[in-house]
Amino acid sequence: MSTPALELQGLTKRYGDFTALHSLDLTIRPGEIFALLGPNGAGKTTMIGSVCGLVKKTAGTIRVFGQDLDKDPVSPRYEIGLVPQEINFDPFFSVAESLRIQLGFYGRRRDDARIDEVLTALNLQAKKDAMTRALSGGMKRRLLIAKALVHKPRLVFLDEPTAGVDVELRRDLWTYVRKLAAEGTTIVLTTHYLEEAEELADRVGIINEGRLLMVEDKATLLRRFGERRVVVTFEHPQAAMPEAGRRFSARLSEDGRTLTYVEREGCAPSGELLRALYAEGQPIADVETRHSRLEDVLIEILRGRPQAA
Amino acid sequence: MNILGMQTLFAKEVRRFMRVPGQTVLSPLISTTLYFIVFGYSLSSRVQTVEGTPYLHFIVPGLVFLGIANNAFLNSSSSLFITKIQGTVVDLLVSPLGPGELMAGFIGGAMVRGLIVGGLTWAVAGMFTGFSLEHAWVAAWFLLLSSYVFSVLGMLAAIWAEKFEQINFFPTFVMLPLTFLGGVFYSVRELPSPWNAISLFNPMVYMVEGLRYGMLGRSSFPPLTGAAILAGVAVVATALTYGVLRSGYKMKA
Repeated sequence: MSTPALELQGLTKRYGDFTALHSLDLTIRPGEIFALLGPNGAGKTTMIGSVCGLVKKTAGTIRVFGQDLDKDPVSPRYEIGLVPQEINFDPFFSVAESLRIQLGFYGRRRDDARIDEVLTALNLQAKKDAMTRALSGGMKRRLLIAKALVHKPRLVFLDEPTAGVDVELRRDLWTYVRKLAAEGTTIVLTTHYLEEAEELADRVGIINEGRLLMVEDKATLLRRFGERRVVVTFEHPQAAMPEAGRRFSARLSEDGRTLTYVEREGCAPSGELLRALYAEGQPIADVETRHSRLEDVLIEILRGRPQAA
Repeated sequence: MNILGMQTLFAKEVRRFMRVPGQTVLSPLISTTLYFIVFGYSLSSRVQTVEGTPYLHFIVPGLVFLGIANNAFLNSSSSLFITKIQGTVVDLLVSPLGPGELMAGFIGGAMVRGLIVGGLTWAVAGMFTGFSLEHAWVAAWFLLLSSYVFSVLGMLAAIWAEKFEQINFFPTFVMLPLTFLGGVFYSVRELPSPWNAISLFNPMVYMVEGLRYGMLGRSSFPPLTGAAILAGVAVVATALTYGVLRSGYKMKA
């Protein structure tokens, strides 16, 4: 098995009496896109900060590509890039200068071709010589992303990278993140746009109150915790629940027009319900189905819904 | 060691203050020159010599020291403090720059600014008094080490400070009184008792006198005393700053 990109063992962070991270264990595989989800104050940024050198951990071990940060806190940082949650910029420098400085910090010589590549990918090329203070909020966010990526890190943390940016950039960034992952870069993403995690992530970790509640493949998570809601509309209102609906524990609307069936893993497939309704001779006008999204799954898990088998 | 990272931080620091030369070089140069003109010309008619040296000549080393100390301190303290306030300290903490590289970058940049202002002050004063450099190596030792010490102290202040009020505490309440009472404009030997004895506890006195020895060839104290005190302060301040950076005190959550 290849060396994990990131390995956390018993990672704990306390601020006085408050425990921000409760002995977290997590392994991130090289080349994967891992989404870390949870509400505000769950511990996502503290976890990322502990790895990136912004937060002093209280206990535990952090290994980046096998290198223990306690033994060597500096060398592993050559491999790390971070898009922080808060926008920051140095007003004394232009966009290109900021990226040249960033390259230098990572021990890399001036590489204008690489800077152009990153600026083009993030649609910032036209602002290359603009001073950073003259950029709009969305452009400053793009610059943060460019700074995190310009030195070609193998492990990138995107801490809410698309907060406050337009839809176009969000799509551009998604495309670029997929390209980076395809090239072998490991991405750890936190986001409030669950659509983003659903679109990009291979695996999902759910964290709340400093505890890692679950780590799962996205597809498995959606299957295990997701549901399919089937809404059957009858041609005529029903006076009482049809027998098939009763057997499948479906719910009839007050006006008797629609029947709703929630299909979860382990339940009878909705197709059987439809066949039973046809067999009863119920006149059906329409059938609508809706799959759970990651957002629904996250809410379910955070509410403490017991795990499905 | 991340040599390129260190060079980049140093170059960034120099470029940063050179982007606003009116504020970082010209303004302190004018202030120090005004000291020279106002104090020098207003007092030189009444105090013609100090311990045998013409008063105008006597105050030049102290003013050069003042320019170096203030500007070296202000550069490292304001630059590092601003990175904390505007959040760009993240770039430094995430990148592979250890405490040694961070110190070299910030201190190097601050020393350059201090020495530029000190050098220009000397150049302006030299137009009035002519240039005097009796012991070049001694002068170089005090010029370089003074700029180094105050650059390190500026870093320490910036690490400690969390508010603008705190970052102004050192220059206003520590450096300014110690410098003005440190024999820039007078000889502490000539102060009445007990002030002459109290002044001996002010480390600035020995730094100013050491530079005075290097430039004018005369001093109230043996230059070796000043050189040793300066070296001692440099070693302690360096060790303290390195340790503080390594621990992450007030830099990491």
